This record gives sequence, structure tokens and C-alpha cells, in this order.
Amino acid sequence: MFTKKNKQKKFTLVRKRVPFLFILPWIIGFIVFTLGPLVFSLIMSLFDWPIAGEAKFIGFDNFSTMFTADPQFYDSLWITLKFALIFVPLNLLVALVLALLITQPIKGIKVFRTIFYLPAVVSGVAVSIIWGWMFNSEYGVLNYILSLLGIEGPNWLIDPKWAIVTIVIASAWGVGSMMLIFYTDIKGIPHEMYEAASIDGAGPIRQFISITIPTITPTILFNVITSVIAALQQLTLVLLLTGGGPLKSTYFYGLFVYNNAFKHHELGYASANAWFMFIIILLLTMLIFKSSSAWVFYEAEVKKEKKGGKGK
Amino acid sequence: MKVQKKMKLFFLFTIIATLLLSACSSSSDTNGEKAEDGKVKLRFATWDVGDDVDLQQKLIDQFNAENSDIEVVLEAYGGDYDTKITAGIGAKDAPDIMYMWNYPQYKDALEPLDSYIEDKGEEYKGNFYEALWNYNAVDGDVYGLPVGYTTHVVYYNKDLFDEKGIEYPKAGWTWKDLQETAKKLTDKDKKITGFAFPGKPDPYDFEMYLWGNGASYVDSKGNLDGNINSKKAIETFTMFQNMLKDEIAITTEGWGDTEFKTNRVGMFINGAWYLEAFKEAGINYGVVEIPSFGDKPSASIVSSSGIAMSKDSKHKEAAFKFMEFWTGEQANKERLSFELPVLKSVVESEKLQEDPIKSVFYSMLEQSEGYNPTSFVTDDWSKLSDDLSLVFEEIFNPSTRVDPKEALNSVIK
Amino acid sequence: MKLTRKYKFIMYSILVLFSLYFLFPFIWALITALKTEGEVFSFPPKFIPDVPLFSNFMDAWNSQPFGIYFKNSMIVTVLTTIGQLISCSLVAYGFARYDFKYKNFLFILLLSTMMIPWDVTMIPLYMEFNLFGWINTLKPLIIPAFFGSAYNIFLLRQFLMNIPKDLENAARIDGANEFQIFYKIFLPIMKAPLTLIAVLNIILVWNDYLGPLIYLNDQSKYTMALGLASFQGVHELQIIPIMAMTLVMIIPPVIVFAFAQKYIVEGISGSIK
Repeated sequence: MFTKKNKQKKFTLVRKRVPFLFILPWIIGFIVFTLGPLVFSLIMSLFDWPIAGEAKFIGFDNFSTMFTADPQFYDSLWITLKFALIFVPLNLLVALVLALLITQPIKGIKVFRTIFYLPAVVSGVAVSIIWGWMFNSEYGVLNYILSLLGIEGPNWLIDPKWAIVTIVIASAWGVGSMMLIFYTDIKGIPHEMYEAASIDGAGPIRQFISITIPTITPTILFNVITSVIAALQQLTLVLLLTGGGPLKSTYFYGLFVYNNAFKHHELGYASANAWFMFIIILLLTMLIFKSSSAWVFYEAEVKKEKKGGKGK
Repeated sequence: MKVQKKMKLFFLFTIIATLLLSACSSSSDTNGEKAEDGKVKLRFATWDVGDDVDLQQKLIDQFNAENSDIEVVLEAYGGDYDTKITAGIGAKDAPDIMYMWNYPQYKDALEPLDSYIEDKGEEYKGNFYEALWNYNAVDGDVYGLPVGYTTHVVYYNKDLFDEKGIEYPKAGWTWKDLQETAKKLTDKDKKITGFAFPGKPDPYDFEMYLWGNGASYVDSKGNLDGNINSKKAIETFTMFQNMLKDEIAITTEGWGDTEFKTNRVGMFINGAWYLEAFKEAGINYGVVEIPSFGDKPSASIVSSSGIAMSKDSKHKEAAFKFMEFWTGEQANKERLSFELPVLKSVVESEKLQEDPIKSVFYSMLEQSEGYNPTSFVTDDWSKLSDDLSLVFEEIFNPSTRVDPKEALNSVIK
Repeated sequence: MKLTRKYKFIMYSILVLFSLYFLFPFIWALITALKTEGEVFSFPPKFIPDVPLFSNFMDAWNSQPFGIYFKNSMIVTVLTTIGQLISCSLVAYGFARYDFKYKNFLFILLLSTMMIPWDVTMIPLYMEFNLFGWINTLKPLIIPAFFGSAYNIFLLRQFLMNIPKDLENAARIDGANEFQIFYKIFLPIMKAPLTLIAVLNIILVWNDYLGPLIYLNDQSKYTMALGLASFQGVHELQIIPIMAMTLVMIIPPVIVFAFAQKYIVEGISGSIK
């Protein structure tokens, strides 16, 4: 197309533009569908807006109310963090264990793979209904089965101590997606690497620690970040399964924001709540991301950074 | 090889194109105010689900056929009605006509209807049960036309009564009677309990028990202190709590209908929503008035449903015409299977006062006139309701069971 | 690998134990879906209905225009999946394989879009869609997918980052242009993760409830998830049709998964050579 002379020049120019061409779809989408609403909600947080009525500018009142006059804000924040602390490591661990299990070369593994994945296919609404149906302490089937075994089941949804356990059990049910992500990655590890290690005399555990884990660190990072976000924004289950109860023991931050917006019709206040959480999650993500350079190894960066050279 | 690939691409492309086309063609013009045929288009939002929606659609078809210049489109939002309506109102895209019960919260988005109703004359207004107008108005301004209502009654399981040889409860009974009956019904071996009520009662509903005992959450000025923690109010909560302690009652996770359906609960209190469902589940039940505290008749909260008009509607005349149709005699009769009529003339012509089940709801309605729920008095009911709900839960939840006096005093703060 | 009997026994016990947890709710849902209204509420619970009522499934399906819902759900699911595959592979490739100015800032910005709480952006987004005339059409559910989603882009990027750099360098020396490298070399390698994204997206969109609830108005536009939710009224839960339709609704994604397994098993490396 162009002469050899300015080919080099064009080339570097193109090289500079090319990456932006690739990410252009997202940039357009961000500007059209995300930026506007985001800015709008930030502005809204400075207003008192009862949805049905007129919005009134009130400066930073929403934020000061949130920090100084609303104990529910701190309660919900604390419960949510507690949930995330239980849920994130548990979910990661279970997902990883399951992913390893379904790579085992034994008969019928395909069936198990499908079974483990099955719950991830069910919508959040249905998940809450099914589990709510089973957890009921009066007529639920779980406590009935327990009673057949001679165990008196707890009041899952009435006892505040058990309610959060209930949420964890019901939400861990959908661990299949994460399992699948790990599985896809583990499946991608070349056999030769294991064979070589095996010749060197490394056992399965040693192989797991020195080959599997380092290779899948990028997906571990992905799963950590997305499950932190999911845990901190958990809404469907607490809205439909427990309604935030009993005694507000599962009144998660997501529900706090949702209720402020749609039950109390305080959209301005809800925006302030939401923005606070947005910033918390953003900081947390950046922190995890920063830390990742110490424990995540990308093949594409191996040469450049002389890190984690393994296998090759 | 190359050709194959091209074919594949071609196929993919065709599929995408067809789907895109069908996606776009299925986009209609309900946002446009006038359809191509020059008809006025009205959006009408309902919260009903299932068969009720089919029935409503039939009624609407009839209206559309009779009114060639108007086309009403039914939008059924189901269980998340409030979320959807809120989003629509917030984005200034509310339906023209919508089902409504929580008028205080939505009134700023609604059209006041007094002038429309006045045009129709006294007789028109008088045909509705008076008690219902209060529930469709805020501060004296009417925002909705009554469509249906329910009062609360005691449902009792006749089979369980027969098994123990206990007489069915009768109108005019007292809470003491209820407790004695519950005690007789309770059978620990069979896991049957006499009475059940929600462990997390809706504060809107629960106020009726206070009314029956001459108390309420707030006075006419909205003050909590001296009302919710009055002697009578505490007494009421203590009575409920004691039934749990005596193990003649249990709390339920939901409203109690499921427990009632399992035939393990003798009595529970709720509205008319379950009449059909209990029949379908084959439960042999009866209903009776809520028991009194002795000195005066019991009262019930009214859960009313009305239809309101968006204040942003562009076709208010047409909208009201439809609302009139929707609340008229014929529509009331068509809805008999799932809604209690609100027109006196219909109640009379359908002889509902003689119906052993439905008449109870009407006598509870007459008995409950003059009570004003706190949600219509106080400014911020949704917040207060949240606080009350938590306190009630503390009183009834087995892991806390806080002393009612202490708990109710804590609301004041 | 030689498997000892003990190892096999332990493996199978673990697998069965997990299966119980994952499968039991489905079994219970199926049992419930086959019961009569009376049996559902009998106590103690019945594990086998007297006469399994398969007609409950038909009744549930016919109680609402599920045929139309199914069509709408299919349109949305297929189109968003195509959109996500195209846009996300491009964007993820851009982020993973190039260095450019503001890359880290843009990437954090991308990640941050995952954290936006929908509660408060939903109303302004509604206004925007209303301005476009998209309300009560399937467009708000479909078109944004053609601009990528942070979740999928991030996931894909993680896979792409794990491919050695030599690959495109060799191709560049051979004179391939940048798009050719992406199209001819990387796309084929990404089969496994792209399949993964397709599966995840199908499930997400198929089950999406809030989007359709907010942006669709009348029944002719409703999706399966909305139909399922309308068995749950304000006062009452119709448990039998809910269970039945839940089970019906998982069939299409399960079929997709069954087919997709094959590609995922191949992994990413299988195709590098």
C-alpha cells in the first residue's frame, strides 16, 4: 500500500494506534453506557431525591448522615465484610478442589463434572426459592432428614447465628462457574510439564504446588477479585431468602443500598451509600492488583521480568 | 477449505442478521403517545400474577373493543412491582394508570382525583365503602379509586377442630377464647400447634391488634411516645409473646399460609389472598372475625388496592375513563374470583353478605371504620416501619424474646 | 497413572459427597414439581409422590406465553453472546498483548465498571435508554453486549497474558499485520477460554432478571426469567410451577454446557502446537 521509505514510520505510528483500535469497542461502550449514569449517580448523591418528588440540593449531607447518624450503615458494612471474609476464601478453595477433582482421570468423571456445574446454571431468584423451601424450620425437608438421623436441625432462617451459614451454603452452591474457570486453566497446562516433573521424582502434591498453582495464578487473581466484588455486592440471596433478617443479621450492604433506594425512596442517600462502597471495592481491587506482581506469573511477562521462570 | 470457511461465515452472518432484524422488529412503539391508528395508548400496570392477569387482560380487551379511540396495554410486573414502578417514576416514564396501595410514598407522582370524582356526583362516590376512601387518599386528597380490599380474619382448620371435638369459633369471641381453643388444639406428639403468627410481622398489619385494645403506634400528631409504649400496647405484645411461651402458638417465617396448608396449625390471621389457594390445596377451613379484647369490637387493618393515575400522563381524560370502567360494577363482578368487591351495589346484588366466608371480611370492614393507620399519619413510615419491624422481631424471635416493655421503649429513641 | 483401589475409593466418596450437596436441591425440586398441591404440603414430607404429575410441567408452561418468552430469551442470549465474543476478544487482546500509554489506568477503569452498583445507575440508564427509544424493546439487553463486559474482558486477558510473547513476534517477522496476528494466530488458540466466556455469558443472560424487569414492559417482550418470577406474587408463592419452570429453564444452558465441555477440555495449550 505505501512505499518502503515511510513504511517504518507508518509502522511505528500504526503500532501506537493499534492497541487503541483493539480496545475501542470497550471505550465507546464505556462512554455511551457507563460514564453518563455513573456521573449522574455521583451528582445525585449530593441531592435529596425522594424519587416521586422533586430533587433538592443538599451538599454533602447524605455523606455526613451516613457516617454520623445511621448506625445501620456501620452494621451492614461490618456484616458484609464478615461475609466476604468467610465466603471468598471458602469459595476459592472449594472451586479449586472441585476443579482438581474433575481433572482426575477416572471413570464417570464427565458426569460428576456436569453435576458440580449444574447449580451454576440456575438463576439467583430460583436458587433463593429452592433453598428457602428446603431450609424452612417448620416444613423444610432438610430438618426433616436431620430428624430422621436423630439430629434436631437448627432454625436456619430464624436463628441469627445460623442465618449467615445458610447464606454461605446457598451461595456456595453456585461455585460451578469459578470451578469451570479454574478447570479451563488447569486443562491448559501442557502434559509435558507434569511428565518432566514426574521424571524428576516429584509427587502429585509437589507437582500441584510447583506447576499447577504457579501456572494458574492469573486465574486465581481473576477469581479473587471477582469474588470479592460479588461478596461485597451480594443482594439477591439476602433479598429473597432472608430479607435481611433474622434480626437484621444478614442485612448486607447491598440490601442496605437497595432498600434505601427502592423501599425508602431515598435515591440521593442510596447513591452516597453506593459510591462509598464503590470506592472501597476499587481500593481493595487496586490493592490486590498491586500485590499481584509478587504472586501472579504471566508467561507473556516471564522474559521481561525474569520472574517465576518455570517449566519452560 | 477456504470455501468451507466462507460458507461458515456466511451462515453465521445470516443468523446474526436475522436475529438482529427480529430483535428490532419486535421493538414496538408503546413509548409513542399515539399509535399509528390514531388511538390513544394507555399503559396500565398491575401487580397481579398468574390467572388473575389473564382475567384482567380479558376485561381490558373488552374495554378496548368498546372504546375505539383508546387502547389500553396491560403491563404485569408481578412480585417486584414496587421496584419497577419506582424505576419508571424516577426516570419519568411511569405507566399512565397503575395499581397502588402505598399512597403516602408515591403521592407526589400521582394525579389528585377529587375533581374527577366530583364530576361524577355524590351517588358515584357513595356506592364505594366509605372506609376505603381513607385508604386511597392522603391528607384528605383522593389519589386512587378503590378496586379491591381485604380485611384480616382468623382462618381455622375445620379438620383439626373436628379431630379434637372442639366447637368452631364464633363472631364476638375474645382473645381469651382464642387462647383456650389454641391450647386444646395443640398436640405436641402430632406436632400440631393451635395458633400461628409471623415472627417478623408487618408493622402495618400488626397495628390492628393495638386498635382492638384501644391503642395505636402514634397519636394524631404522629408522636410515638405514650402510644406505642402505652400500657395497652405493651399488654397486647405481651399477650402474643405469652402465647409463644405457653407453646400454644408458633411464629412463622412467612405469613403463615404455608404452615396452615401443612395442616399443622389450627388458626392463623391474614387477608383474603389465600381463599383460592387453600381451596386448591384441599384444606377444609373456615373464617371468623378477629377476637376482641372484651370491651369493644375487634378491628382490622384494611389492605386496599386502588388504581391511580400518573401526574405525567398525557391522556388524563382517557385514563380516567378507563379507571371508571375498571372500578365499575361489571368489572367488580368479573373479579369476584380473586377480589372482594368494593361497591355496595355489587355486594348486594351478589348477596355477599350471606356468603359464610366473604361476609366475614365485610363485617370486619364495617367494624374497622374510623381507624387511621400510622403509615397515613407519620411522615416517614417506611423508615419507622423498618425500626418497628426489628423491635417486633426482637420480641418474638426465640433467640432474643426481649421483654415487650423494654423493647417498645427502645423505639422512642 | 496407576490408580490404587484405596485412592479410587477415596476419590469416589468425595465425588459422591459433593454430588449430594449439588444435586439434592434439584432432586427435591423435581419431586416437588411432580406432586399435587396437597402432597406438597403434607407433613412429614413425601419423597415419592403417589402419582407423579408430569402434567404440572405442561400446566406451568401453558399458564403464561412461555413460547414467546423462550423466543425472546433466545434472541437476547444468542445475540449478546455473539457480541461479547467479538468485542471481548478484541479488547482483551488489546490489553493483554500490547503496551501503551494509560494502559494501567484504562484497565483499572475497566475493572471498576464491575463494581458499579446497579441500584443507583439504573435510573439514569433507564432515562438514557428511554431517550434512545429503547424501553420496552430487547435493545437495552442486547446492544451493550457488543461493547464488551469487564468480567469477560478481564477473564480473557488473564488467559492471553499467559501465552508466551514469542508467538506474535515470530508472526511479525513473517510480515503479518496486527489484525492478522490476532485473527489467524490468537483466535484459534483462544478456543477454550472463548467457549468458557460463551458459556458463562449464556447463563448470565439467560437468567438475568433485573435487566428485563426494568427495561421491558409488556408480556410480549418478556423473557423466561421474568416469566419464572411471575409465579411469585406479593402474597403468595406458587411453588409447583416455580419448581417445574426452574427445571425447564436449566435445560438449554445444560445442553450448551454439554457441547462446550469438549472445547474446554482441549485447553489452551492443545491448540498452540
